[in-house]
Amino acid sequence: MGFRRTAQLVCLTAFLVLLAGAGHIQEADLFLRLDPALVGITAIAERKWSWLFLPALIVVFSAFLFGRIFCGYICPMGTSLDLYDEAHGAVAGRFFQRKPGKARHAPQWLSPRLNRHILVFLVGAAIAGVSLVSWMSPLSLITRFYGLIIYPVMEIVASQALVLIYPLVSWLDIRSLMFAELTPPRFTGRFVVLLCFFLIFAAGRITPRFWCRYLCPAGGLLAVAASKPLLRRRVSDACNQCGICAQKCPMGAIENCCPEATDHAACISCRTCESLCPQQAIEFSLQARPDRDAGPETALSKSRRQFLISGAAGLGTAAVSLTGLHAVSGKTVEGRVLGERLIRPPGALPEPSFLASCVRCGECMSACPTNTLQPIWFDAGFLGMFSPAITPRRKYCDPRCTACGEVCPTGAIRTLSAEDRVWARTGTAIIYRQKCLAWEHKKSCMVCDEVCPYDAIAFENKPGLPYPVPHVKENRCAGCGYCEHYCPVTNKAAIVVTPMNALRLSTGTYREAGEIRKYKLSLRPPTVSLEPRTYPGATGMGTKHPEETPDNGSKGRAPGFDAGY
Amino acid sequence: MLPGRLFARNKTDIAVVKGDIETAVRKSVDMLGGISRFVKKGNRVVIKPNMSFAVGPERASNTHPLVAKTIAALCREAGAARVLILDNPLAPEERCLEASGIYAACESLEKGMTHMVSNPRSFREVEINNGQTLKKTEVMKEVLSADVLIAAPVAKSHSGAGVSLTMKGMMGLIQNRSVMHRRGLHECIVDLASLLTPQLAIVDATRVLTTGGPGGPGKVIIPETIIASTDMVAADAYTVAAFEWYGKTYAPNQVKHIRLAHERGLGRMDIENLKVRKQTV
Repeated sequence: MGFRRTAQLVCLTAFLVLLAGAGHIQEADLFLRLDPALVGITAIAERKWSWLFLPALIVVFSAFLFGRIFCGYICPMGTSLDLYDEAHGAVAGRFFQRKPGKARHAPQWLSPRLNRHILVFLVGAAIAGVSLVSWMSPLSLITRFYGLIIYPVMEIVASQALVLIYPLVSWLDIRSLMFAELTPPRFTGRFVVLLCFFLIFAAGRITPRFWCRYLCPAGGLLAVAASKPLLRRRVSDACNQCGICAQKCPMGAIENCCPEATDHAACISCRTCESLCPQQAIEFSLQARPDRDAGPETALSKSRRQFLISGAAGLGTAAVSLTGLHAVSGKTVEGRVLGERLIRPPGALPEPSFLASCVRCGECMSACPTNTLQPIWFDAGFLGMFSPAITPRRKYCDPRCTACGEVCPTGAIRTLSAEDRVWARTGTAIIYRQKCLAWEHKKSCMVCDEVCPYDAIAFENKPGLPYPVPHVKENRCAGCGYCEHYCPVTNKAAIVVTPMNALRLSTGTYREAGEIRKYKLSLRPPTVSLEPRTYPGATGMGTKHPEETPDNGSKGRAPGFDAGY
Repeated sequence: MLPGRLFARNKTDIAVVKGDIETAVRKSVDMLGGISRFVKKGNRVVIKPNMSFAVGPERASNTHPLVAKTIAALCREAGAARVLILDNPLAPEERCLEASGIYAACESLEKGMTHMVSNPRSFREVEINNGQTLKKTEVMKEVLSADVLIAAPVAKSHSGAGVSLTMKGMMGLIQNRSVMHRRGLHECIVDLASLLTPQLAIVDATRVLTTGGPGGPGKVIIPETIIASTDMVAADAYTVAAFEWYGKTYAPNQVKHIRLAHERGLGRMDIENLKVRKQTV
């Protein structure tokens, strides 16, 4: 195995390990932050600079020196495409008769500049403040693919395996395996991701790395930087124009007519040509030797005009998107039409900034330990597609968890301290009394109170009702969704979280903002110390919220007790 | 008949021991005939404490770690082949294990003893033959294959069930609790207790959460008492009568599931007719 393949596999493995460990290990989003298209478009759309963006700058700089080595050696999308291509070739070679010598050539009408046009299109939209990069960013796409499709499938297989081996490990009394519990995540919207990848992989049948050659905007940006890198392909006079290199180049960087010339913008320095050359006329080196590179064949003015058109198309798309009913801009919330249950993750920026920054990579969804973060469809309109939202019915959003903010590559979800996380309110619970077991059906149920980590539910006896009934203490509720998740009412819960009073800040602490708004957000505090000791009948120790201790009820009876015989 | 009555008088129905936690647990089991009466050599034992809230022992929402640990130690001393301490919490599992202190306490005794079970695949559906409202439910496989079930609930108030004691605690061994709230909590608790009847109930009243249960925060009193019985209904009934709830005293029959369990013959709540032995250690 050559150096390049080793480097590719190491990088892909690192990418997969970081993704699997998202929420547990530092810098889980590193690979996403290497993607220059993802970072560049976000920086323009959100008009901000962050040190988070530094790795992508390094990647761009590397292209000036060494060409598109990111594409050839590092990018997990490129590696996945290579591996798929080889696997497909091997399988097809074994089971079907291969048409010998059939080279895969790109159709003539496809311009190798298409990826740069896509990049310019995205930049055009970003100038209007609209980020469409999630549709085309290679790292965003591949993170979604592995995180939302491949990993959940692997987990469900593993969890089935645990069931199969249970009798054996129980007999052997291996406790760690007996009680190992895997809860495979479940996601919505995966068929869009699957369809994208079907198309991307299938396009590899037209030419290898079709995606990298024609579509990838990150590749397009690096192509611009790598138009004449220091370390590049050079061909000596020993070349006898056999053309093998041109035939085998996966990127189409060598023309059949003139194999001694190189389109460096397309070359990913894979060095396939170097290893294949019968004359050993090719080397990748720094040494200055007169090289005969392919010059710009198209008249510059014509190509410039075409790029202007692409940029204008991006601007136009942005303008059309911004006139959608659900589009958000500016700070005012008046007239905003968004899904009534659109609950953003804790620490999500104000909606317009959030949508401009979020690259829909799904890293937060992969990292979410409760699987409550799900991609949305049109709850936030076309521009909100595939952005994350809390789905409390699936599970609560744990107020001690800061995973989504930690893994967000662009800071669309802010990184929160443990203390501030408790204050990062995501919404408010409301009770549908006509669905509630205690209110409507006169049954004994207090699950919402039992599970609420904020002590935001008060149970009170009401005349005419046999059991205490719940109320939401609005200023104590943070919208975490424990109540909605555990509410025993089937399908739609009787207590649900709505986005009301969610704190969406771009700066400052959530605690400060919450205190100004008179919120009292704290996880149920421990009672005061056990001293002095008290015994039955003695008046006891105070509680933290004595004024909110459930009242003895209209009949003066402890909740849950009745008259007896 | 005379001999039977004599025998009944000597037998302890409810052991109530006040004092140092470990000594009190051991003493209470001794008063009921010793651990060997319940756990035989080679038995598989499941102990069910309350450990489903991510709070410390001072909040009295969970069983005291020393209670769980002492019971587990007793079972091991009796020669049990496998002792497991299990619960199925609503709050995040790891934090419950850690905050309750039970994991650390019992891990020092034997590694791999304490576990939270919540995966649907770890449960098996069983019929409740005597169930009136709840006819079937999914129970932890480990519980179904155990020889002995020991309940070790903390004594606490419960805004829905009145109190959360031995019978209510059995809800921690099954998967689908929400159906019980829909069909009628008290009725279902009794049905479940008819299926999952612990051979030994050891109620941890070293601290009692008398208001704000089950999760608290609420008023915590510290009776330093262990209440043990082979009759889960009697243990629960005694606990109800022994302590204040929301500042007042109540009769066991004022808790519907205790009353129903008594009526259905699952145990006795008429503690005045039972042999209660009290000790201070």
